[in-house]
Amino acid sequence: MKIENTKAQMRKGVLEYCILGILSNGDAYASDIIEHLKNAELIVVEGTLYPLLTRLKNAGLLEYRWEESTSGPPRKYYSLSPQGKSFQLELKSTWDALQKAVEHITTSK
Amino acid sequence: MNKTININLGGIIFHLDENAYLVFNNYLKAVKSGLEHQESGAEIIADIEARIAEIFGMRLKEGKRQVINESDVEFIISTLGKPEDFSDSDDMENEPFSGKEKNKRFFRNPDETVIGGVCSGIAAYFNTDVVWIRIIFLILFFFTGIGFFTYIILWAAIPEAKTTAQKLQMRGEPVTLESIEKVFDKFGAQSKESGKKIKSGLSGFFDFVINTIGSIFAFIFRFLGVIIAIIGALIAFSLLIALLGIFGSTWSFTNFDFININGHVLGMNGTEAIFGGGWRLIALRLGTILTLLMPLFALVVFIAKVLGKEINNSRLLSFSGIASFIMGLLLIFISAGSIITDFKEDATDTERYTLSGTSFNVQAEFLEGNSGFFFEVDDEVLRIENIRFNIQPTSNEEASLELRHSARGRSHSEARQRAQNYEFPYAQNGEDLQLSEYFNVPKSAMWRAQSLKATLYLPVGATVYLDPSIENIMYDVKNVQNMWDGDMLGREWIMTSKGLSCSDCPEIIYYRAQDLEDEIQDNVDEELEELEEDIERKLEELELELKRLKDR
Repeated sequence: MKIENTKAQMRKGVLEYCILGILSNGDAYASDIIEHLKNAELIVVEGTLYPLLTRLKNAGLLEYRWEESTSGPPRKYYSLSPQGKSFQLELKSTWDALQKAVEHITTSK
Repeated sequence: MNKTININLGGIIFHLDENAYLVFNNYLKAVKSGLEHQESGAEIIADIEARIAEIFGMRLKEGKRQVINESDVEFIISTLGKPEDFSDSDDMENEPFSGKEKNKRFFRNPDETVIGGVCSGIAAYFNTDVVWIRIIFLILFFFTGIGFFTYIILWAAIPEAKTTAQKLQMRGEPVTLESIEKVFDKFGAQSKESGKKIKSGLSGFFDFVINTIGSIFAFIFRFLGVIIAIIGALIAFSLLIALLGIFGSTWSFTNFDFININGHVLGMNGTEAIFGGGWRLIALRLGTILTLLMPLFALVVFIAKVLGKEINNSRLLSFSGIASFIMGLLLIFISAGSIITDFKEDATDTERYTLSGTSFNVQAEFLEGNSGFFFEVDDEVLRIENIRFNIQPTSNEEASLELRHSARGRSHSEARQRAQNYEFPYAQNGEDLQLSEYFNVPKSAMWRAQSLKATLYLPVGATVYLDPSIENIMYDVKNVQNMWDGDMLGREWIMTSKGLSCSDCPEIIYYRAQDLEDEIQDNVDEELEELEEDIERKLEELELELKRLKDR
């Protein structure tokens, strides 16, 4: 079992929640989302994100509109759908609970 | 200078240089093949392409460039991630990998070679173990020889799989996530070790045998190659010598014989006699020099290669070599063609000289070193040995010598002039008629197929002794005994109305087989008749005896 694989698995698990979290603070381009995630070192490469965004969009959690770009083709401008908002809130409580639980287990030895 | 290839990404045109394109195309293919089968894969691909277009656009702007290079593509790959990064972890299992192997191509496999990697390339194509292909080839090689030629042809025709993408194509592996891992791990060790690990013990043993045989064959091939090279070099060398011979023959060096055999300067006299001294000789000389340049250049390049030194301008060298070769041939052809027109017209000059007496002893001057050459060149004259001597009866009282000298020329008058201009040394000294084996023409007349027919006309009853020294000039002399020219020498002859007749030849009686048979048959018949008569007489006597006894 490789540590890298486990790390990647962990990151991937929280990735969806993080994307929703970023978008809950305001609409964003895919590249903005990527920027945030990269800074947080949650993803290393961008490729991971595109399938994920599409999947979330298909699930009805995200919406997008086209925006013209000066430096390339038109870009998708993502925002949370109402369904996505509630989904995000639900995940947030789960995450908070999970975080506490994990903290509790790993520190109270 | 690099070729660029245009691509369309998200509706924007980009120019990629060739290397960048190769890498990028492989990458994008791999990414696509991983995503295609996913739900709304097309959309994801479009998003990714748009993103790539954005990054490309940015980088071009930053670098103030117009063409995408390999570093841009590498940046894309490092930014967007390897193809496997694009997959959603959950979907990994569902992904169908069995894309049709449409991109399968024949390549020679450079990673597993005995000779040229043909067999392993075929094995990769048909997805079998290379051992079986090698066995088939060896069988074909030993029992039919087809294997050898097939191998050579395939070796020449099939390209080697140089890039990793080609190696994938060689195996017909679809460009998928799995296979592409190899592409992007190509900096690691993909080739030999991994291939060897898979092999079972059995095929390992076969491999050992095949490899051993293979290296023997590799040695033989190399050996054959050396032999072929040697043969080629020999042929080239002899051609060179021949050309040098022609070259040398077109120049007359004072006190220096280029190729000297038995006192004859090979070819030189001939060239001079045929080409004269005008522009045609110059053209021929120039032509041979130019023609010689190519093999000379080739030799230089070859030697340089043997010594392992590359000549910088070898292309220029070979081009100018070929050009001068063609020029040289052209000059030679022009020169030779002009010569050929000199042989167009034919003219004959006939003269008849009366001889005294009716008894002759015909001799000819024996030329020292007569080696059967057409002609030889002295300082001023061309000595031609094309003489036909004949002896014929004449109704005249006196004997005579007729000389018919013919020559060729560009025009009839030129030919006639040439035909008249010759000298045949002969002399009569009492009974001795001294002829020569050659006749002379001026050097300026050049050799234009001159020939001389010398005919000795003798009245009937005249006698002649043929000295063996005329052997070389005798030509089909008619005689009653129907003897060959050579047999007629050294004998006394007398002229009859039917031609010469030998007067001191031993009488030879000829029998015809039919006559002999008839004679024998006659003899046999006669004897048989006598026998029959004898028997009849005896019978009569016996009968009479019987009667006499009965009567008693």
